[in-house]
Amino acid sequence: MKLDGAQVVIVGAGVTGLSAAWWLARNGVDTVVVEKGVIGAEASSRNGGDISHRAYEPPVVPLAAESLNLWPEMDDELGYPTEYSPGSIHVAMDEEEAVWMKQSNIDWGERFNLPLDWWDADKVKDAVPLIAPETTGAQFSPKDGHANPQRTVQAYAWGFLDNGGRLYQHTAVTGFRKEGDKVVAVETDKGEVEADIVVCAAGPQTGVLCEKAGAFVPVAPARVEIIITAPVESMWKGAVMGNGLYGRQTMRGNLAYGGGPHEWVDVENQTPMKPNSPVVRNLSRRLAELYPGASDVPVIRSWACVVEQTPDMLPIIDFLDSPDNFMVATASAHGFGLSPATGKVISDMVMHGETTVDMSGLTYGRFNEVTPDWRAKKDWDPGHINT
Amino acid sequence: MEHIQLAVVGAGVAGTAAAIEAAKAGVNVVLIDENPLDMYMMGLDVPLFFGQRLMPTVQDKGAMMGRVVSANPDLAEAEEAGVDIRLGTYVWGAFRNMETSRVLDGPQLGLADENQSWTVKYDHLIVAAGGRDLGMGFAGWNFAGAMGANAAYSLMSRYQAFTGRSMVVLGSGNLGLHTAKLARERGVEVKAIVEVDGAVRGDAAVAAELEAAGVPIHTSHVIKEAAGSTDEVESVTVVAIDGDNNAVVGSEIEYEADTVCLAVGLVPTVELLNLLDCDVRFDHHRGGYAPVVDEWMRTSVENTYVCGDAAGYHDGMAANPEIARQQGRLAGVAAAEALGAIDSAAAHERRSELTLATASANGNEVDGVWKKWLAALMNVGGLDVYVCQCEEVTRGELLDVQPPRYLEWESDEMRARDLGTLAQDGPVNPDQVKRLTRAGMGHCQGRRCREQVAMLLADESDTPLTEVPIMSYRPPVRPLPLRIMWAHDETQQVRDDWVVWFKHSRDYMREMQEAD
Repeated sequence: MKLDGAQVVIVGAGVTGLSAAWWLARNGVDTVVVEKGVIGAEASSRNGGDISHRAYEPPVVPLAAESLNLWPEMDDELGYPTEYSPGSIHVAMDEEEAVWMKQSNIDWGERFNLPLDWWDADKVKDAVPLIAPETTGAQFSPKDGHANPQRTVQAYAWGFLDNGGRLYQHTAVTGFRKEGDKVVAVETDKGEVEADIVVCAAGPQTGVLCEKAGAFVPVAPARVEIIITAPVESMWKGAVMGNGLYGRQTMRGNLAYGGGPHEWVDVENQTPMKPNSPVVRNLSRRLAELYPGASDVPVIRSWACVVEQTPDMLPIIDFLDSPDNFMVATASAHGFGLSPATGKVISDMVMHGETTVDMSGLTYGRFNEVTPDWRAKKDWDPGHINT
Repeated sequence: MEHIQLAVVGAGVAGTAAAIEAAKAGVNVVLIDENPLDMYMMGLDVPLFFGQRLMPTVQDKGAMMGRVVSANPDLAEAEEAGVDIRLGTYVWGAFRNMETSRVLDGPQLGLADENQSWTVKYDHLIVAAGGRDLGMGFAGWNFAGAMGANAAYSLMSRYQAFTGRSMVVLGSGNLGLHTAKLARERGVEVKAIVEVDGAVRGDAAVAAELEAAGVPIHTSHVIKEAAGSTDEVESVTVVAIDGDNNAVVGSEIEYEADTVCLAVGLVPTVELLNLLDCDVRFDHHRGGYAPVVDEWMRTSVENTYVCGDAAGYHDGMAANPEIARQQGRLAGVAAAEALGAIDSAAAHERRSELTLATASANGNEVDGVWKKWLAALMNVGGLDVYVCQCEEVTRGELLDVQPPRYLEWESDEMRARDLGTLAQDGPVNPDQVKRLTRAGMGHCQGRRCREQVAMLLADESDTPLTEVPIMSYRPPVRPLPLRIMWAHDETQQVRDDWVVWFKHSRDYMREMQEAD
């Protein structure tokens, strides 16, 4: 049994894989995406939708900067709405937080040439009428922003298909056929897909699948949860975060926020269960503390998703040494906001072997010394929380 | 945290029977029911499609508590048997450890009243959460006065707080006939019963009684419109349909009525079972998505049982409450045996006394009834009728898979996409379509539109309805305000250990500063 092969076969139709696929296809590269379930079924469509400069993680800043430049054009480039909306504030809930944020405005602004600014409490209350009265101001980042993850992942998929790409959903990868130091085909439960180059963008299943290709890639899956309220009056259009929560008000008006304890888990090579936990009550409390004016608004939903983290919690976007036509692309739970740039970089590296973005901090080689018992050493074993 | 040996959710006929059975066997049983419901919840059409036909007296918790108790005489027996009965208590979540969640030290239920939420541990769980009104869209079904049969039953019987004075009933199965009968007993004028089928579906004797009392039953008819001047139902127009379910021109009949009651079907309430990952499958004979259950009322999850309408609904159950009662007793026996309160010989003996009343099931209701209703409603009402009231999504917008109007998005690429192209990419998935169109994303948590959405998707994409996946349920399965969900019992430890993300940006900055 055989499925039509391609120059590039991408494993995983999450936001990273689909962005890469869209970039490759619009650059004329014959590309197939293989997905075990439906597109964006895990963290790619279940996340806070935040788009950030990530100045607190220096190795990823060049990639994030590229992404901030690309986001404003994405709707038009894709032809489909992502609900991108620029601007982001981090609200300080007390004076201590305000001091820290003002300092980071200076540190990060200087170090990375970021246009960060400070909003005083009145300005915050003006923009966000439901906000906690005790707020002491907010860190304002005009180039950050937010978008709708569910719409975005579909937009990448449709854009990819519009450019002649082929998407095989409900097709699970079972292994890789190798010849010498190269993978020559991706084996699936529906047949083999021949490939010149393979990009593994399998999210939480990255570790399990790379092992099938004969490579050790250290990633640990974890469960993350978010709550959603019924719509409230539309406030400032940018993202508003604070009180231990990340998230956003959607264009419809819903408040969608996550944060809190994260549980390390294990996943097999299939779409994992995504149960919520009683943590939804703690999230509700934090959200009502952040927006006392929304206390009477009902929580109508919650989500959970499974993300993956590398040992330093930063992406790996790199070709392996062996097999040498096999690229690992894990965004280490940063995938959504970075996705326009991640896809572009992957496309550049696949087509030209190099990219203009400084990716030197996101190599596979930085984990050469990591041993298989790394999760236990970090106390990241399944069932452990916040370690 | 409180630890419950056997939690029974739902104090209707089935749940109360289950609680009595297990308590008599010596099990410590807590019987939980959300009635009397908060007026706020009823206003959101949760859990039933109340359609704003409630008297303000439902705000009087004390009075409503009394009425709820007296509406179910079995509760007195349960109390005598030692059952701990908790009314006015919502069950909004159920949690247990699974592959990707290992942190709980046992299964838990999320509970709430109108002031706060809390969690309890349980050993075994019987879900007797009843059935939910099947929503079917027609022009004006978003007006006050359009409601579901179970909601009408609840308001007329349990709460005695129904404000309607005149009613048109949609559906002539036992559900519709018994609703009409009860309405007449409560002084509501039943103007007509409407049935798409060529013949009355329910109990002939009840139908004859209603017709003798002057209630017309229009077979081969469907509702065309509920209309009114102020978003209130004031009149209901019905129209005859031909063999292809198309309207017969000029056959309209208009009734003055303040209420139109959807009594086409009930859907098992599987929310908690779905959260617990019990096997739930589409069954044409049991009201759509229903739990997989064995003859002892055990689900696929070891300590979890189900009985009554929640275990699978067919029209025969509306006529004969003994079916639900016997299922309840069987579930009680199963839980008592599993908990070691009775041995297997005693359980076997008790089961042999419980022969399930055979239901006069009318067969395949989804294929035979639901689909015919939807086909006729589609033909008569067209594509501009809302399928999702909360998010105001029309049938046409759903089938075109278009983004919501408020995005004001226009592009050639988007216009070229519809359900047909989506189906080419892979099997239709209602969760995917819901995220794109927002149908099912509102405050009623998809209760009024799920089945319509699934049926429309199946029909348009030529997919068997059984293969359209269930639209997922997520906690809280009741839309509870933030101030109620609020973790009032949060410990200082939880607050101290709270992180925004895996690692706080402050920690990164500290590391950066140290490195510098």
